[in-house]
Amino acid sequence: MTAESARQPSEDPFIFRVENLSKRYGSTLALRDVSLGIRRGMIHGLLGENGAGKSTLVGLISGQRVPSSGTIYLDGRPIENVDVKEMEKAGVFLVTQEPMIIDHVTAAENLMLGIWPSKGGFVNWRKLRADASRMLAGTGIDPQAMAGGLDAVARRKLNILRAMFSGGKVIILDEPTAALTVEDRAQLFTFMRELKAQGVTFIFISHYNDEILEICDACSVLRDGALAGGTEDVGSLTSEQLSELVLGRGLVLFQRERHAFAAEEPAVRLRDVASGKIGVKAFDLRPGEIVGFTGLPGAGAKELARAIFGLAPTQSGTIAFGTETQRPLPATPRDAFDMGIAFLSDDRHRDGLVAQMTIGENISLSSLSVVARAGFLRPEAEKLLSDRYFRAMGIKAAGPAAVVNTLSGGNQQKVCLGRVLATKPRLLILDEPTRGIDIGVKQDVLRIIDELARTGVSVIIVSTDTDEIVRAVDRVCVFEDGAIREEFSGEAISSERLRQGAKERADG
Amino acid sequence: MSQTTTAVAKPTTAAAPRQGGKSTLGWVLHNVVWIWLIALVVIFGLFNEFFFTTFNLQNIMVQATVLGMIGLAVALPLLVAEIDLSLPANLGFSSAIGAMAYSDLGLPWLLAMLVGIAVATLIGFFNGLCITKLKMVSLIQTLSMMIILQGALLALTQGRTITNLPDAYVWIGQAAIGGGWPIMPVVFIITLVAMAVLLRNTVLGRSIYAVGGNPVASNSAGIRVDRIKIITFTIAGFLAGVAGFLLASWQMAITSNQGSSYLLYAIAAPIIGGVSVFGGRGNIIGVLGGVLLLTVIQVGLAIISVPSFYVGMIGGFMIFIAVAIDAIRVRYFG
Ligand SMILES: Nc1ncnc2c1ncn2[C@@H]1O[C@H](COP(=O)(O)OP(=O)(O)OP(=O)(O)O)[C@@H](O)[C@H]1O
Ligand SMILES: [Mg+2]
Repeated sequence: MTAESARQPSEDPFIFRVENLSKRYGSTLALRDVSLGIRRGMIHGLLGENGAGKSTLVGLISGQRVPSSGTIYLDGRPIENVDVKEMEKAGVFLVTQEPMIIDHVTAAENLMLGIWPSKGGFVNWRKLRADASRMLAGTGIDPQAMAGGLDAVARRKLNILRAMFSGGKVIILDEPTAALTVEDRAQLFTFMRELKAQGVTFIFISHYNDEILEICDACSVLRDGALAGGTEDVGSLTSEQLSELVLGRGLVLFQRERHAFAAEEPAVRLRDVASGKIGVKAFDLRPGEIVGFTGLPGAGAKELARAIFGLAPTQSGTIAFGTETQRPLPATPRDAFDMGIAFLSDDRHRDGLVAQMTIGENISLSSLSVVARAGFLRPEAEKLLSDRYFRAMGIKAAGPAAVVNTLSGGNQQKVCLGRVLATKPRLLILDEPTRGIDIGVKQDVLRIIDELARTGVSVIIVSTDTDEIVRAVDRVCVFEDGAIREEFSGEAISSERLRQGAKERADG
Repeated sequence: MSQTTTAVAKPTTAAAPRQGGKSTLGWVLHNVVWIWLIALVVIFGLFNEFFFTTFNLQNIMVQATVLGMIGLAVALPLLVAEIDLSLPANLGFSSAIGAMAYSDLGLPWLLAMLVGIAVATLIGFFNGLCITKLKMVSLIQTLSMMIILQGALLALTQGRTITNLPDAYVWIGQAAIGGGWPIMPVVFIITLVAMAVLLRNTVLGRSIYAVGGNPVASNSAGIRVDRIKIITFTIAGFLAGVAGFLLASWQMAITSNQGSSYLLYAIAAPIIGGVSVFGGRGNIIGVLGGVLLLTVIQVGLAIISVPSFYVGMIGGFMIFIAVAIDAIRVRYFG
């Protein structure tokens, strides 16, 4: 039966039902015998650790991939042999975890990908532009901008908006909030509630407990590819209970013991940094200090981080480590690594990973000179390095020889982080380090960063995740209009203060 | 699991990556070049016993040498997701420069040969500079370079064929040891090994794959992307220069369009051997397979005396099949 004929509604209370669904990739069983139902008009949360099978499951029910065995029912009718296009016709839209953006066309065209308004076989450009402008109103994204030039947040929004405005009856969101700001997230949730009131069903994947508790009606938990539990009444759960449901054990949240650094000599001194819109007169980091950079997109936090690493052209700016004299900021990432600066990008697909290389090759990619002698790679040295970070990051894969694009999103993020840490930097800059990483591993990552700081490495964490900032940093710098507007440290760092600040800036 | 094959049979969207990669079908498709090669050898052998003679084997080895050298050269820019169409023209032009440095400038033949190879290397370096520093599109830049070099060769030779090559110069292309085994393929084998080591065991090789796989991420990971691309084009130019010397030495002549006939085969060989035009994928063994396959097709069609009117068409058809099977492999098995 095709998706076409599955369009007629039936009496089934479940809009989607899967029975004994399995998916095998070579020797890994990504999904094993999963049976569950998604109630009509609900927001159904899908939870689980990295690699649990969430993306695999939604990939199967959206027609992106083909199950190895089992049946999927849409509106009570089994669907077989359908592809994404047919499922979209049947009203099922998936926003994939990995961005689906065509770089060299405009934002407007990306929004309408595959759903172009057409007249007699020709694209109706006027309507396309009008529709796109309407969809993008209030997002600050120029419909005519080339998608390749947009930042990670804007690119993410394009994919989400395409699904939200599709008129579909089931919208599946795979970690939609991972790249969004607090404000964007609130807007997304409002929009979701509006559509829900019109009868739209959502499947929502997230690693953030507060989001699940706020927006979901029901939820299912996957663990190692199998259904590990779920509830029809999310409202009755606490965040701790939710964590326990996901992990199968209690979760100890990490909290850094904050240090007061004011008296110490700076380990890193930045002076007169000007790059694009940003201007920072002076900024110091103490040895072993962890500083959180936060602010709205475009306010300068990310931009400064990239400029320090040589990824953005600078008009001026110098840096000095310890008692060394001031030198110009690195012009390229290679220079930055050579100076002891390492950087983790917030967009792992664009500039974090070489997807068709193995985990090990990615981990050693920034440390090739360390594992080579006279230009020749030393296999044992390389293996030692990649094995070490493979284990330290707790990457879930058959081994370091697995190809990166077979990994789940969160595990890819760990590979990126491993590559950056393997360079043994003096200054570590992390842009959204735990994006897409599950709650259990997130604590491990924060712990690793904490331990690194104890060895004297200075760390900058750029993050929109207030919880992460509160748990991991000693000092917070709030950016606005390209400058550091406010700094606070120690006891003053709290979720309330960060949220309040973000809200005021967004309104003002 | 039987479902693996059903999954394969069903077309999925471009976004859906590899399906179960361990099936027999996957193995066959992965090694399609070699299987196809063996099949053709058997078929040609059945048609004409002469195909299996030592003499013919020696012939195939010599023929494969020049194509192999130029195929390896073409493979390098492909690995960094660029292309250099000027390499066969570079081969012809640089060998003429080498020959004329001997005949007109009176340089010793060895020095003259090195001059030719140096010119080829410089042209490769220049191509790399244009593509990285001037951000020219490699397809067009090297296409124009190809036309320039072809024209320059014609101008240099004034349409005549250079034949007054010294004995020492042509030695490598003519010498043979016991039983008529030619020396020239040794150069190819040494180059094959050197390139395999370069790509597998050096920082440069790893960087080449990374740049081809994701240039933006490579840059962020601290790889000097432009430099790697320039080096790649330079080595490709060098290999074209060596190939030019070998071809001249083997044919004992440099025609006014020397090398041009290699263009399509030189590009086809690495691609048939699994080098992706999108960069970052492919290895030396694959290139060798592609080179041998094309050479066997050429030699085999000649030997079973297919009327010359059909040779081009049938050869093209066989290449088409190889590429089509490879495309299917990439689509379903990555
Ligand atoms: N193309 C593939 N080839 C091989 N294995 C794969 C492939 N895609 C996914 N897997 C494996 O399937 C398992 C489930 O992956 P999936 O992407 O569904 O996890 P997830 O729950 O979405 O995790 P995350 O929270 O990290 O996004 C993982 O072990 C992953 O390595
Ligand atoms: Mg996922």
